[in-house]
Amino acid sequence: MAKSAKPRKNSKKPSPRKAPAARRGRLWGILGRLLLVGLVVLAGWMVYLDAVVTKRFEGRRFEVPSRVYARPLELYDGASISVGALGRELELAGYRPGNGVEPGSYSRSGGRFVISTRGFTFSDGAEPKRRLALTIAGDRVTDFRVLSGEASPIVRLEPAQIGGIYPAHKEDRILIQLSELPPLFEEALLAVEDRNFYQHFGVAPMSIVRAMWVNLQAGRVVQGGSTLTQQLVKNFYLSQEQTLVRKGNEALMSILLEWHYDKQDILETYLNEVYLGQAGVRSIHGFGLASQFYFREPLSDLELHQTALLVGMVKGPSYYDPRRNPERALARRNLVIDVLASNGSISEQDAIRAKAKPLGVTSRPSFSENRYPAFIDLVRRHLARDYREEDLQSEGLRIFTTLNPAIQYAAEFSVKQTLDRLDPANSEGGLQAAMVVSSRDSGEVLALVGGRDPRFAGFNRALDASRPIGSLVKPFVYLAALSQPDRYTLVSPIQDKSFALVFDDGRRWEPKNYDGTERGEVPLHVALSRSYNLPTVRIGLDVGVDVVAEMLQELGVSDTIPRYPSMLLGALPMTPVTVAQVYQGLATSGFNTPLRTIRQVTDANGEPLSRYRLAVEQVLDPAATHLVQYAMQETMQEGTGRGAYRRVSRDLSLAGKTGTTDDGRDSWFAGFSGDLLAVTWVGRDDNGPTSLTGASGALPAWADFMASVPQHGLSPVIPDGVQYHWIDPESGALTDEYCAGARLVPFIAGSEPRETRSCAGNLQRRLRSWFEGLF
Amino acid sequence: MIKANYTAGGLLACALILSGCATSSGTSIYVPSAPAPGFDPPPRTTTPEPAPVPTPQPTQPEVRPPERDTAPAPSYRDQGETLSGAAASLIRQADDLLAQGNVPAAIGQLERAQRISPRSPEVYFKLSEAYVRANNLGTAEQFTLKGLSLAGSNTRMQRTGWLLLADIRRARGNLAGADQAEARARAL
Repeated sequence: MAKSAKPRKNSKKPSPRKAPAARRGRLWGILGRLLLVGLVVLAGWMVYLDAVVTKRFEGRRFEVPSRVYARPLELYDGASISVGALGRELELAGYRPGNGVEPGSYSRSGGRFVISTRGFTFSDGAEPKRRLALTIAGDRVTDFRVLSGEASPIVRLEPAQIGGIYPAHKEDRILIQLSELPPLFEEALLAVEDRNFYQHFGVAPMSIVRAMWVNLQAGRVVQGGSTLTQQLVKNFYLSQEQTLVRKGNEALMSILLEWHYDKQDILETYLNEVYLGQAGVRSIHGFGLASQFYFREPLSDLELHQTALLVGMVKGPSYYDPRRNPERALARRNLVIDVLASNGSISEQDAIRAKAKPLGVTSRPSFSENRYPAFIDLVRRHLARDYREEDLQSEGLRIFTTLNPAIQYAAEFSVKQTLDRLDPANSEGGLQAAMVVSSRDSGEVLALVGGRDPRFAGFNRALDASRPIGSLVKPFVYLAALSQPDRYTLVSPIQDKSFALVFDDGRRWEPKNYDGTERGEVPLHVALSRSYNLPTVRIGLDVGVDVVAEMLQELGVSDTIPRYPSMLLGALPMTPVTVAQVYQGLATSGFNTPLRTIRQVTDANGEPLSRYRLAVEQVLDPAATHLVQYAMQETMQEGTGRGAYRRVSRDLSLAGKTGTTDDGRDSWFAGFSGDLLAVTWVGRDDNGPTSLTGASGALPAWADFMASVPQHGLSPVIPDGVQYHWIDPESGALTDEYCAGARLVPFIAGSEPRETRSCAGNLQRRLRSWFEGLF
Repeated sequence: MIKANYTAGGLLACALILSGCATSSGTSIYVPSAPAPGFDPPPRTTTPEPAPVPTPQPTQPEVRPPERDTAPAPSYRDQGETLSGAAASLIRQADDLLAQGNVPAAIGQLERAQRISPRSPEVYFKLSEAYVRANNLGTAEQFTLKGLSLAGSNTRMQRTGWLLLADIRRARGNLAGADQAEARARAL
């Protein structure tokens, strides 16, 4: 009232006509001002929403985790693989048992396989789709033929995806482009979700009205009025509450989105954004990932009935979950097929045929958490040298690794089997293990086991358990000695007698043999193959602790090496991966070959970003290395590693070394064949004692592994300047091949023994000394 | 001197083929996987480790002198392995790529070949050639040395390797090393 009175007071002589008009004018003015304020607020709000929507749109569009691939399987005549391993390999790469005609399927009868590949573009060339036939006999590929597609004597299968590097919110994407959509996909999606997608401006009022009408008639919600754009915007919100303000914001943001971006951009983003299921804590977003998740197939390969299912699921991924609610999913799928038939996109016949098909969903999601957490852990650490974590989580990089699924399977199986046998209780604080397998000549890490439970992504013992290596250090002590051929050969007699070292501060060190006995004098090769401590320390002190330490550093030990005499017996902590690195040089005749887990990183389009090439560097004397390899083969045949041949075929020549630390706290085995280098550690996380030695703990796991992988035996090429001679084991003198007990031993030229002993015993020497006495 | 050693090694190895200790060409012995897990089931009543435990150090006992007639001897060979057909086809592809000037792709194919035939000297000599093309002479030299370490008594491979090494060393300015390598090639 006061307000209305006020103007009257101000206008002393109000005209009875003018009064209402002025009031109206003032009202308009106020309204106008309010409107203006409202518009300013709205404009501000729109600017805010605009910023939100573009930021989210751009952000979401490009946030794609890196994908990690196993090494591609190479198939050719002579390729080494067992029937079981090929089956597992195909399964891992998402192949279905079937007719072997459709891409991504294979048929098998006994050892004969017919495989239809899907094709894959590697950065060094494309592998087109092909149909292959091959037979596996004696764990080797024979009769390899390309039945259809470009002929080639060697074909790479698509690499299996073994994991991803995910952002914190655990979402995942397989980014797809419009061009990758299978036929009818877009028609089906628009027919069901947004008929007027290409006409509307973000919202479709008529659709909303129509939806309301349909829903009213049905008495329940059968149709949603949201456009694809609105659905996309809805995804940008973290909460799913339905309020009017929220609806309003959605509509405004949809209009803004349409204003900023063209229809193709919006559709493509929608395809990669739409929510289609849940796997544990991970949401399945986008049709690309959903296709893998439900069918284990790339989206572009989907058939009509599969397309229809995915499109139908948009409405309610949980309600229509084909694994949990197959009937509902089937009905929904068939409804989508009917819609396509009724609008003429497909014929009635096609519809009937498609509806007759089963859902075709794989029984288990192909996309669990990382299958190989320990290996991926090492990959991540290697990547961290060159890439930022944010980029790995969001740039959709493709990381091609060296993991060999067949080798990994064998390593996991051997570790588990051995530990279940050694420690059946498997209680808290029980035995643990780690294993590293690399390719002997390339340094590629083929398998990595970080603990007894290979799926557990926790403490990675292969990388982080730094433990004293015990006798694993001995080959390097002997290598240092044998590099001085004028002083040491494999047959040099070495004192196996106890002694004491007294340090400046008065401390005494009295090393002992493991079994406590002393043998007086033993040939050097026997001292190494039987892992005697006393001769090793004598030799090591003679050549110098520093020489051994420097050699280890040259071979890839980056930590400081304690320069105490006890280091000669392995008072020197290393992780299993470091041991593998150090042994690589020993296994490859003196060539240091850096361990690699990554061959290549490409961007999301397959353009190479970085390559990690094979590299070799000669760091050891090849002749001396050959001699050590001889003694390490003897270790397997006659020495501390001979238990391996209870498990491994005698035909497979191996070289290796056991390692045990005090009270069995660490049980090690490191060794190699022609193809593989493997290191195994067994012990407790709390560093507690065990009843194990290297030969009873780590060796069985190592040997089981070697026995279960088809491979070539070790047969090193004689290096320049090395000659083999027959040696009489008792005297260490040269002798003849046919003499009893004669042993063929390699020597660096000029270092072979000068004495000769005939089969008849010491006759020759006696003769000589008799002659010597004469003159 | 070295040549003489070499011949001796070769002859010796040839003799060994007969006794089955070493092979001279082809590939190493291929051993398929064991048909079943190769150990006995664990004893149910005793400790998990099936080995008897007579002393506190059960697994490093005195080892009897092995019986020479039956015990296998450490294996070796007098030359590297022959290239497999698949690796050879990849090397041909790499040659084509090198001819087109696509060195990175050629190295990619050669690394595939190396994984298939890792004990053939040819693969490493080819890698060396590719790195020469990439003007990465240090890497090239190392691959040549690796190839030479596998050439063994194969004179043709030895000559290829030493001549390659001589060229690379000369290009790197190591004239003495180049002369040395050339002398080795001549002495074959």
